[in-house]
Formats: sequence, C-alpha cells, structure tokens
Amino acid sequence: MDDKGCPRCKTTKYRNPSLKLMVNVCGHTLCENCVEMLFVRGSGNCVQCDTPLRKSSFRVQLFEDPTVDKEVEIRKKVLKIYNKRDVDFPSLRDYNDYLEQVEDIVFNLTNNIDVDNTKLRMEQYQRENRDNIQRNKAKLTREQEELEELLLLEQRDNEQRRLDVLQEEQRQLQAKRKNKQALLDELEQSKLPATLLLAQHKVRAAQLETQIEQQKQVVKPTNLFSTGIHMRQTVSLQPVPKIEEVLYHYKPLEIEICGPPVPELEQLGRLGYLNHVRAAMPQDTAGGYTSALACHRAIQDAFSGLFPQRG
Amino acid sequence: MKLNIDGLLVYFPYDYIYPEQFSYMLELKRTLDAKGHGVLEMPSGTGKTISLLSLIVAYQRVFPLDVTKLIYCSRTVPEIEKVVEELRKLMEFYTKQTGETNKFLALALSSRKNLCIHPEVSSLRFGKEVDGKCHSLTASYIRAQRHSNPNQPVCRFYEEFDAVGRQVPLPAGIYNLDDLKNFGRRKGWCPYYLARYAILHANIVVYSYHYLLDPKIADLVSKELAKTSVVVFDEAHNIDNVCIDSMSVNITRRTLDRCQANVDTLQNTIQKIKETDAAKLKEEYRRLVEGLKEANVARETDVYLANPVLPDEILQEAVPGTIRTADHFVGFLRRFLEYLKSRLRVQHVVQTSTPQFLKDIFDKVCIDRKPLRFCAERLQSLLRTLEIADIADFSAVTLISSFATLVSTYSQGFTIIIEPFEDRTPTIANPVLHFSCMDPSIAIKPVFQRFQSVIITSGTLSPLDIYPRILDFRPVTMASFTMTLARTCLCPLIVGRGNDQVALSSKFETREDFAVIRNYGNLLLEMSAVVPDGIVAFFTSYVYMENIVASWYEQGILENIQRNKLIFIETPDAAETSMALEKYQEACENGRGAILLSVARGKVSEGIDFVHHFGRAVIMFGVPYVYTQSRILKARLEYLRDQFQIRENDFLTFDAMRHAAQCVGRAIRGKTDYGLMIFADKRYARADKRGKLPRWIQEHINDGSLNLTVDETVQLSKHFLRQMAQPFRQEDQLGLSLLTLEQLESEEMLQKITQIAHQT
Repeated sequence: MDDKGCPRCKTTKYRNPSLKLMVNVCGHTLCENCVEMLFVRGSGNCVQCDTPLRKSSFRVQLFEDPTVDKEVEIRKKVLKIYNKRDVDFPSLRDYNDYLEQVEDIVFNLTNNIDVDNTKLRMEQYQRENRDNIQRNKAKLTREQEELEELLLLEQRDNEQRRLDVLQEEQRQLQAKRKNKQALLDELEQSKLPATLLLAQHKVRAAQLETQIEQQKQVVKPTNLFSTGIHMRQTVSLQPVPKIEEVLYHYKPLEIEICGPPVPELEQLGRLGYLNHVRAAMPQDTAGGYTSALACHRAIQDAFSGLFPQRG
Repeated sequence: MKLNIDGLLVYFPYDYIYPEQFSYMLELKRTLDAKGHGVLEMPSGTGKTISLLSLIVAYQRVFPLDVTKLIYCSRTVPEIEKVVEELRKLMEFYTKQTGETNKFLALALSSRKNLCIHPEVSSLRFGKEVDGKCHSLTASYIRAQRHSNPNQPVCRFYEEFDAVGRQVPLPAGIYNLDDLKNFGRRKGWCPYYLARYAILHANIVVYSYHYLLDPKIADLVSKELAKTSVVVFDEAHNIDNVCIDSMSVNITRRTLDRCQANVDTLQNTIQKIKETDAAKLKEEYRRLVEGLKEANVARETDVYLANPVLPDEILQEAVPGTIRTADHFVGFLRRFLEYLKSRLRVQHVVQTSTPQFLKDIFDKVCIDRKPLRFCAERLQSLLRTLEIADIADFSAVTLISSFATLVSTYSQGFTIIIEPFEDRTPTIANPVLHFSCMDPSIAIKPVFQRFQSVIITSGTLSPLDIYPRILDFRPVTMASFTMTLARTCLCPLIVGRGNDQVALSSKFETREDFAVIRNYGNLLLEMSAVVPDGIVAFFTSYVYMENIVASWYEQGILENIQRNKLIFIETPDAAETSMALEKYQEACENGRGAILLSVARGKVSEGIDFVHHFGRAVIMFGVPYVYTQSRILKARLEYLRDQFQIRENDFLTFDAMRHAAQCVGRAIRGKTDYGLMIFADKRYARADKRGKLPRWIQEHINDGSLNLTVDETVQLSKHFLRQMAQPFRQEDQLGLSLLTLEQLESEEMLQKITQIAHQT
C-alpha cells in the first residue's frame, strides 16, 4: 500500500503517512489535499476522465483498487432499488435469473457500457415496482436473518460468560473475606491457643481454595432445550410449505391368481383344511400366529397359476 | 501359528506371540463384533501392526459380508511401506498353511509424486509440480484436443490405462508402491490411476490420513468406499491436529498478491475465449443455469479442485445468479480479494467469529453468503471451461475460494484471527489471516458416521478418555495395554535437582537461569560418560535449544562432552536434519557413540526410531508445552472449555505429555531393546503430569525414581545399564513375555492375559 499515491501531486503513503486517498463516482483517486484545492467551489471535473463531480460525494478510498470502491458504491445504489427477496419468486430459477439481471446492471454501470439505457431500465423498474421496493426495504433476506440470529446468540453467550465469571469472582472474594473475619472473631473470643486457631484457619482456607477450584470445573448448564432450540431464541416462523398433491385413495387389492378360488381364512377350519396341518404350539401363538395363517398361505401358493394364462 | 481368538481362527505368521498381542486381538475382535469404534493403546515395538492385520484379515475371511474392506491409514510413506511388508508376510503364511492361493488384493496408495512413471513428470521435485504437470497431460479437454491435434502431448501411460486398464481387474496380490510402479511399467499403465481405481475393489487399502480426513482429497479418492469397511488410524496420537489442519486456511499478503495475478489471468483468458470460442462459455453458462452437476464420467483426471467442505454440507442447488456468468464471477472474486486486502491492513490483532465476518463482508462489499458458499465449485467449473492446463499456478485463487466456501458454510467451530505481524518479529509488518478450525470433530465426523468400525490406535494415547471427547464420538472399546517384560528394559527417571540442589525446570521464569542451564549441561555430560552408544536429547523448542547450546559452549561444557561423544544437532531444515541423522547413525555404528540434540514436535521426535544402540538413553530437557501465547491456541482452548468442558490446563498438559511420551518412546522399539528415559524437569514428578504418561511408562516410575539429583541419576543409570548389558536370550523371554502356542493355551496364561487390558 505504501507505493500507492495521489496521481496528481504524486505524494505517496511512504512520504506522508497521514495521506488520505479519496475516490468519487468515476472511480479515480485523488488525495485529500488535492480534493480540497481543486474542488474549492464544491464541484469540478475529474482530472483523469473529465466527469463532472461534486466535492460532497468524495469518499475515503477503502480498497486498493479504486474501481472496486466505485463498484461497491454503484452496487449499493442498485441494490436499494432491486431489493426483491427469494420469496417473491415462484421458483429458485426465476430468482437466479433476477439476480443475474441485477449483476448485469451493476457490471454495465461500473464498466461504462451502455450507461444511458441501463439507467433508463432502472428507472422504469423503479416506477413499476414502487410499492414492492418500499415493502422490502426493511426486510432482510433469510440468510441475513440467520446471520443476525447467530450474532445475537454469540453476543448473549459472551455476555453470559462475562457475567458468570464476574459473579464467580465476587462469590470467591466474599467467601475469603468471611473466612478472614471468622478467624479474627475466633482469635478474639475463643480460649484455644492462637497457634491452633491459625492452623485451623489454614486448613479451612485450603479447603476453600479446593472448593473454588472444583467449582471452576463444574460444567455450566447448557442453554439448549432438548429439541435443540436455544432458550429465548427468536425462531423464525416461516409457514410450512404446502405440498399440493393428489390425496391417496385406498382401493381393495385384486389379484389374478389364475387358479381355483381360494377359500376365505375364516372358512378354513370349517372346510377341514386345518386337519392336515401342524397345530400351532403355545409359543407360536404368543406372537399372534395361528395355523390357519400358514395354511391359507400354502393354499394360495398351491392354487395360483394352476390354469393356463388366457390370451 | 494358528490362534483361536474368541472363536475366530486367526493365522499369525510368527512362531511366538506376545501376550499383549493376544489381548489386543481379543479387544479388536470385540470392537468388530459390535460394529463400533475403538480406542486402543499399545506400546510401540510390541507388534501392533501385525496383530491388527492378522485379526482383521481373518475376520474378513470368515465374515466376508460383514467386513468387506480394511482401510489402513498411516502417516508417512515409510510407515505405509512397512505395513505392506507385514501384510506380505502374513499372506505368504496363509498360502503356506492353507495351500491355496488366496484372492486377497491389498495395495498402497500415495500421491502422484511417489507413483508416477512418466519419465518427464516423475523427474520433477515437488509434489505440487508433479500434480500440475500430470494434470496438464491427462485432463479430459487436453485429451479431447488431441483428437483434432495429434501433436498435443498426452501421457501415454494414462491413455493405455484408460483404454484397457479398466476392464481388467488388478490381479490379486500384495502391492506396495514399487510393485505398483513395476506392474504399471510392465503393462504400460499409469500406476497412480490404476491404484485409485483398484482401491474400489481391493480388500485392503493402505494410505495416508489425508485421503480420508481432508475433504478436498477424500471427495476424490475415498468417496465410493463401502460402508462396511473397517478404518484403522495408526499412530493416531496427533489425529486431532491433522483434522484441524485439513480444515484451516492461512492467508498472507503474498497469497493475495498472487491471487490478484491469478484473477487477472482469468480475466484475460476469458476475454480471449470470448473472441475465439464463445460457444464454450455459453455452454458452461447453460449448464449452470440448469443447475446441472458435472457429469462424472471420464473426469477422474479433472476433478483436481474438490470442494473443501464436507460432503454433507454441500448445497445441492444451482449456482446463484450473481456469479453465473464468467465476468460476474471474476468481478466477484475481485471484490472479495479487495475486501480481504482491506482486512489485512490492520495495526493490531483482530479476532472475529464467522458470522461477524460474513456480516461485515456484506456491509462492505455487498457479498451475500450464498454466492460465497458456491465459490469453490464455481471456480472449479470456470477453470475447467477455460481449459487451463497448468493448474498449479492457480493455487492462490483456489485457496481463497476454498476459504470463501468454508467461511460461509460453517458458523461454529471456526474463528478468524488477523495478526499484523509474527510474534517473533513484532516490528516487521507481515499480516496473516488465520482461518482456523478449532473443532477436530468436524473433519472426522463423516468418517465415524460412514464406516461401521473406526479403530484409533497408537503407542501413546494416554489419557484415553480425552480422544473420544475432542473427536466427539462414542467408542465401544477403550483399552490400554502394557508391555509384559521378562526384564525391566525401560528405566524412566525424573531428575528434579542438580547436584547443587537447584531445581531443574524449563519454565519461563528460570529459562534464562544460569544455574539451570549449567545443571542441564552437567546432566548431559555425566550421562555421556556412562551411557554407551547413542543418546538422544530433546529440547522444548528450537529457540530454547539454541540458547542452551550457546551457553554450554561458553561454559566449556560442550568441549567436555565432545571428549566422550560426538554431537549432532537437528535444525528446521529437513535436508540438514537427515544429514545429521545419517552421520549420527554412522557414529553410533562405530566408536563411542554420539549425542543427537533435537526438538520435541520436530521431525526426529515424530517419525525416527532409535533401535538398540542408536538410542540407549533419551533425555527430555523440560516439559514440551506448546507456545501458549499464540492466538490460535488460545481460541482453541477457549472453544474446548466452552464446548467440551475440557479445562485449558488439562489440555495443555495432555498435549505436552503426549509429545514427551512420543519423544522418550523413540528409544524402546521392542522387548529386546533397552533404554533410559530421563525426564529432566521437576514438574514431571507432579501427579497431574505423571498421570498423563502412557501406562506402560507409568508402571515403571516408582517413588525411588522421582526428584533425583544428577548424581543419583548417574548411579541408577550405571546400575541399570550394567544389568541390561548381560546377555539376553530368547529363552529368557519364553513363557513370560513371549509365548508359544502351547504356553498361550495354558489356563493360567489365559487368565493373566485377560488382565493385561486396562479398561477405562
């Protein structure tokens, strides 16, 4: 950055560390002093490209490449007008097309391609979508909302941590003070020899220390609900997307078995089929098994496909 | 021998077995049965690898549907090779015993640098260059261009592999890196892509951690591995740092400058393409509008820049309209870059959370979160469309885009720290933006979720319960095994005082203390006189080592030491260090031995073994705490406290002790080996430090070896060394620490074995 300097007076950052470079809408740089000198009247032309400029629109150059400064400036302006959100579009594809269109406009304006037409287009758009623009002005995109939420969360966590530490320190300080006071009281009132009292005090102090140490280790309770949602979190309440589909209709199953009709499950016993299969054991019946089930299935199996296929 | 492990027939390729190996296999079997994760600690040199391999291979043979694949992750290439060799031994044993050739396919996978056989490409020195060059020869559009222009150079090995290699599966067998290369040469196939293709149906894959943990690589290589695999992380004591590194990004001013150049190149290329071949850009644009993902067919060579975030975090949507066209995307990158530059212009350290950063970026340059999330993917698509062959040059812009994607994807567990200068040089402006991951569980979570069993094992994992906490998983088995010894071959001593009763410690207050340094010098001097062969001394940091060695030189201690042994020093430079190591070993081979001065957490402390006479004593000067003033560390400690309820001090001590244990563990690499372990700091005697050493070291620290003076240490060492120098034959070990099959099956031994595992 040191070698960057004002193109007019050739001062560099190296020679004048307090040099401030300014940039205007055309994307050309001047140092602060030159701006003061050339634009005393409040307006004038750019030294390099002769664009009429106003002094008030000079900004401090943030980036090394002044065209980026210019582009960002333009982009901010364009985005103020083109502020539709993804929810305003029926599909992602349309939204992406729209984004590209915006990008095109910014590109044209930055690179001085077809500026007049582009500006016209912008104005037309602005007229057509006035209320939409107004409506979206205060609204953030979903991603930004998420970001804000995260930031909020982070801030709160930090604050919480700071408070916890502060409280903890307070508590420790108090405990120590109390301990000291207790020693003084005892020395005053007790009849035991002072050395003993001092020794007791030492033990107590050590205990306190270990206690404090242990407390430091104690895990802080998490601030999560069991569902994974943070407590006191602002959950973005978006409606669940409606799925439009045809509802499911139940139709009884019809199977062409190509064989003689199979007797119903209930009738198997009456018709005497069950006499020829193994009776269910008590262990089997626990799970709901009956011998009729197996029998029915075996008959189905046996009957199906007995007749040749028609056609 | 054939073992019966809890009803499972296990072939073990040696005639003898250590009791702890048997116990280890029992625990491992239980973990596999439960289809859960496990944490197992077993001392180095007791045959962890072979126990793991023989059990899991046996398990695979018996239950081929339950465990289809073993993924064995290790740290370095030599370690990978070692594992493959053990596996080869095991498989030979299988064929000898069962008489049939088994259909096991096992292979090692490493980077292109280690596997390339292309004469030009493989001669390059750096891995990045090899990758870039390979990409420029094998990218799909390069190959497509070849159809129209036969002069376009391509890699004939890849072409050959692509033409025929895919139809023919790799024949069963054991392949290490060289085998793969030889096979590739014979067939004329590219070994790298062959290996990457073959891991899909291999029974055992051995590769480095990064292939699973780094989302950028894991997405390419390990995406299609089956859920029923067993994953083993060996030498996993540093796994949390690997996880963190794989998700962190550091951005300096230099990166940004290079990135600026990249963006300019991109813009120029776009202009050029617009003039020559506008249809290509249109095609890309159409694809992005449709929201189509890249078709995966025949693109394995292209997917070079994968998404840096974990697979379950990737948005399955179309790229947002703001960055759909190439021009807009370049403008977007420019704005992002300028924003980063303005952030790097700071006078003091700034720490922000990711939501704060995102909000600020929206306020300053109007960049939303969503396009940021797609940055890496969009760049990938653009680079492919522009057909940029030499992708290695674009590392800066790739880094920035993966930073953008990461920062917008994760709102928790990450922090951004911007430092205007390095800690060591507070006057020279050198701003760095650290985007640092504080939660190792983020990177490793998909691994735990995806695979049915993950085993974390190492020689030093104590205290065991901290790993499940920082990695956030629930293991079914946690066990620490001790070393059964026929003679106590390790002798840990804690030296707390010098001969003049000055307390020895590397703590900050006494770091410059003349008396402490002199006493450390005395300790080394005395030890150099009594210990035969090699001594390895570890310091806590390079700076500390430099200070001490300088003042030893002034005091003439170095000269005295050199009367006994030669001195070698580890430096931050890898080449110098390996030279020093080589000469050190040469000196140990002949003559009076040598002393190697090295640094905990350095190269020597992590991967180099000092077997037998290469390390008869290890001296650990001080407690190797990390540099606690670093902002990144502070942020991580805070996070650990808030999220996992691990106190700062606990973690720091844990970290210091695992490195200390790593260092001293270098000397004992087996049961016939012996060595002194000298902890030269009075703080080691405290219960909180001592309790964090691995159990197999802790067991041998008794009250008589605490808080010794230098003189006492010398006496004890002399005694120990004389004892150890007696001939030690295999028969002495048999029945105690080395078992034959009959001994193993005896009732009392089985009872003893069940006690070895120390459950926590």
